[in-house]
Amino acid sequence: MNRRRIAAFGFALGAALAFVADVARAQRQPELRIEGGFAYITQRGFSSEDAALLAILWRPTSEKLGFVTSANLTYAQDSLAAAQGVAAVDVPWKWNSHLRTEAGVAGASFALRREGRGGNGNTFVRQHVVAANYGAWFGATAGATNRDGVFARSYAADIGLWQRWGPLYLSGVATRLQSADWPLLLASGVSRNPDDLVFDLYDAQLTAQLRYGPHDIAVTYTARAGTAETDASFAALTWTGTLQIADRVALVGSAGRQLADPLRGLPQAEVVTASVRVSLGPKPLPVLERSLIARASLELQPLGGAVLEVRVLASEALEIVIAGDFSEWRPIRMERVDGVWVARVRLTTGKYRVAVQVNGGEWRAPRNLARVRDDFGGEAGLVVIP
Amino acid sequence: MNKTRASVLLAALVMSASVLPVALKAQAHSGTPVLAIADARTREAVTREIDRAASRGLPVRALVAKAQEGVTKQAAGERIRAAVTSLARRLEQARDLLAPSPSDAEMIAGADALAVGVPAPMLRQIRSAYPAGQSVAMPLDVLTELVARGVPASNALEQITQLMRRGATPTHIAGVGASVQSDVAAGLTPDAALEVRARGVMSLLPSPAAAAALAPRGPRP
Repeated sequence: MNRRRIAAFGFALGAALAFVADVARAQRQPELRIEGGFAYITQRGFSSEDAALLAILWRPTSEKLGFVTSANLTYAQDSLAAAQGVAAVDVPWKWNSHLRTEAGVAGASFALRREGRGGNGNTFVRQHVVAANYGAWFGATAGATNRDGVFARSYAADIGLWQRWGPLYLSGVATRLQSADWPLLLASGVSRNPDDLVFDLYDAQLTAQLRYGPHDIAVTYTARAGTAETDASFAALTWTGTLQIADRVALVGSAGRQLADPLRGLPQAEVVTASVRVSLGPKPLPVLERSLIARASLELQPLGGAVLEVRVLASEALEIVIAGDFSEWRPIRMERVDGVWVARVRLTTGKYRVAVQVNGGEWRAPRNLARVRDDFGGEAGLVVIP
Repeated sequence: MNKTRASVLLAALVMSASVLPVALKAQAHSGTPVLAIADARTREAVTREIDRAASRGLPVRALVAKAQEGVTKQAAGERIRAAVTSLARRLEQARDLLAPSPSDAEMIAGADALAVGVPAPMLRQIRSAYPAGQSVAMPLDVLTELVARGVPASNALEQITQLMRRGATPTHIAGVGASVQSDVAAGLTPDAALEVRARGVMSLLPSPAAAAALAPRGPRP
């Protein structure tokens, strides 16, 4: 029995180490962001408070697996202190480049108004369908909060859509949330119906974001309805913005109402923040475009030869080059066409090796092509033109 | 006198015409790509390796391209040298396996096939499936692509040599490879796609006996 357990444990450990090593090999130059600033927080029934913010985000850039981990610390003297940690993976599907699965865990420790000491843990899984300029997702989140010794579970399911028109990004998400975390709702101004053990909330959230180069501004409107009666507002509007003032330095600000979030144990509050973000490592990748996948297709020509088209769904802020036997391995910058990076190469009969590089990272074979080792520790795509 | 001058001029022209391709071939590896290697020692070592390969009749352009690929991929000098040496070794092995007189394209195709794990004897089998003198570069390229896609080498070889023995042209065989590629993109396994596509082409070809009768007897022009 013990031997079996040890063998199973050894096998699992070996598989995990092999997986981590494989992922580590695929990753280069992790993105590291450090953000420090100031917040002005007003909670219902309490006077407003100043708080200090510190956030660290680490995200290795990889086509194989997106991995994000971040830590946040909020501190307001004598009233609110919270430390949060998040780790999430984002796995592109091997068989279909339009699909990605995202999953993660988060934990928090907090002290709210001295009485509300406790912690929260939550986990989520989300399935994404991603096309060049639009996408959709559905997911589920489960959270548990312990506040002053009272334990409460919360669950939520959400479904969302997003669309991008040039610099404008729009998204909509509908969430159904069920929670037994009455202390949080009471602190947020909700009055309890004594017959209800749990409360149901229905959120509809719309976000519009406008990007201009590295700068952006976004507004989010959330409407909430539920079984719980409340005298607090059930609508919230939040503004956020990023102003890139230097290559690696940006000013980040937000203002608005944060609705109570039982999944993460966050109370309802009016929040204004201002912080400075310093990005280390390579150019940061926009969140929606972590999964950079080059796809190749062939258009056979009636008189022989073919046109090889390689497309990469990625931000215009990136630098994407293609090289291969056809260019004597000299890099050619791909062109931006309708929001997608495209290279069209006319090839005569024969065999060619092709590879794509994003932001100076690894050279990778486009999908749909046979993959071969390149003698330099990387890979290339192989295509034979009739 | 005029007649003699004309003869001398003609002889000089013939000689220069025969020497020119050799000179061009020798020049091909002394251009910029290899010089782009930053480390002087590695650059010299790679140039020496390419010169050695040229003297053995191996296709220099493949070696130059490999060196340039290493430069573009910012590989370490030692790695570039090792990659060029390794390719030269594979080219030499392919030349022997595809004897008696493989073309540059055939040697390159053979070396690439060896690189993806095609067993050496299979190169001989491919060579023998076509009449001497008919290029096997395209069948080797398709074999390489199929094996790289995960088709077992023996299955891929069987389908390709069957096609070759039944008189399928290199264009037919390349067409099978391209069709397999689109089938794989549509979700078929490479193995199943190859079988389906090869059968499709075979149904259009004459029987093996007829193909043997139709096969050219000597080298094609």
